Amino acid sequence: MAASVRHLLKPWTPSLCFARWSRYNPYYLDPDPSKDARVPDSELSPEQKELQELKTVRPIKAALSSDTSSPFNDPLISKFINMMMQDGNKILARGIMTQTLETIKRKQVEKYHRSPAAKRLEIECNPYTIFQKALENCKPIIGLASVQKGGKSYQVPVPLTDNRRRFLAMKWLITECRDNKHRRTHMYEKLSQELLAAFANEGNVVKRKHDLHKMAEANRAYAHYRWW
Amino acid sequence: MSGSVIQEKVAKLLSRQNGKPVLRPIKPLALKNEVASRKLKKGEATCVTEMSLLMACWKQNDFNNTVCSKEVSVFYTCVEKAQNKAKGKQGTQGRLLPKEANTLLKRFPNLSSEI
Repeated sequence: MAASVRHLLKPWTPSLCFARWSRYNPYYLDPDPSKDARVPDSELSPEQKELQELKTVRPIKAALSSDTSSPFNDPLISKFINMMMQDGNKILARGIMTQTLETIKRKQVEKYHRSPAAKRLEIECNPYTIFQKALENCKPIIGLASVQKGGKSYQVPVPLTDNRRRFLAMKWLITECRDNKHRRTHMYEKLSQELLAAFANEGNVVKRKHDLHKMAEANRAYAHYRWW
Repeated sequence: MSGSVIQEKVAKLLSRQNGKPVLRPIKPLALKNEVASRKLKKGEATCVTEMSLLMACWKQNDFNNTVCSKEVSVFYTCVEKAQNKAKGKQGTQGRLLPKEANTLLKRFPNLSSEI
């Protein structure tokens, strides 16, 4: 009897959760958790001055618990961790990310110490710059969209927004590392290999990007089927 | 003031006193609380020339992005300009968009019956 009554005492949660869109009124501004010193008014451009004024007046959304004011907080890395996360296990995803960055650093430092003095300047040891550069190399420039014309659907080359390009690059990296690895290699190891390869413009992810570009180039005759 | 003048004219058109009525309405002669949506004007594809230049450069240099960086940046600027234009163009030229008019009418409708 206690068990049947207990389910009435649980807080009601809706069975359908809208994970995609936020419930905030668009009037609310995004929070800025960085602790940078305020730039004096003379150095700001008119748009930035307007933005500062808006921040004093308008309501601001609550910051996520993953956005910290620490200098190690990187929005790109946070986005990648969120995309890697499965079933809400942020701890595991973040652990994998830190292990990846550590592995990259170790590999690069080993390479640095092994190489002759002439080549040492070229070797990049900062794992964050390697991550950013590798992601840049994986981003596609043109995408394909399916457009229906006269009963048939064609793959039309289409420019992509920045968010879409970043999403595609991250998605390709993660799927590549999940699918094409030996069952005994860890995720962080495979990720570090792929990131270092992408940094040097090699590897499967960059190949996938080139394949997309080739398809777009092959279908360039259909570019006029777009209406936007 | 002018509302009653219009009502009298409509009543005259509907009446059977002067021979057959001029109007035989199927639906009630009153304005609805919504506006018909306008047909979306089909635009043309933007940035096609930049895209074709970029693809020519790719074909020559085997899809190497570092060599074609100038075409890439030109393409990006064109895309950004097109996006800004598309965002800013919609609600100008003085008239309300059908969607905006419908929202307003929903909030402040013409009352057809007493509540």
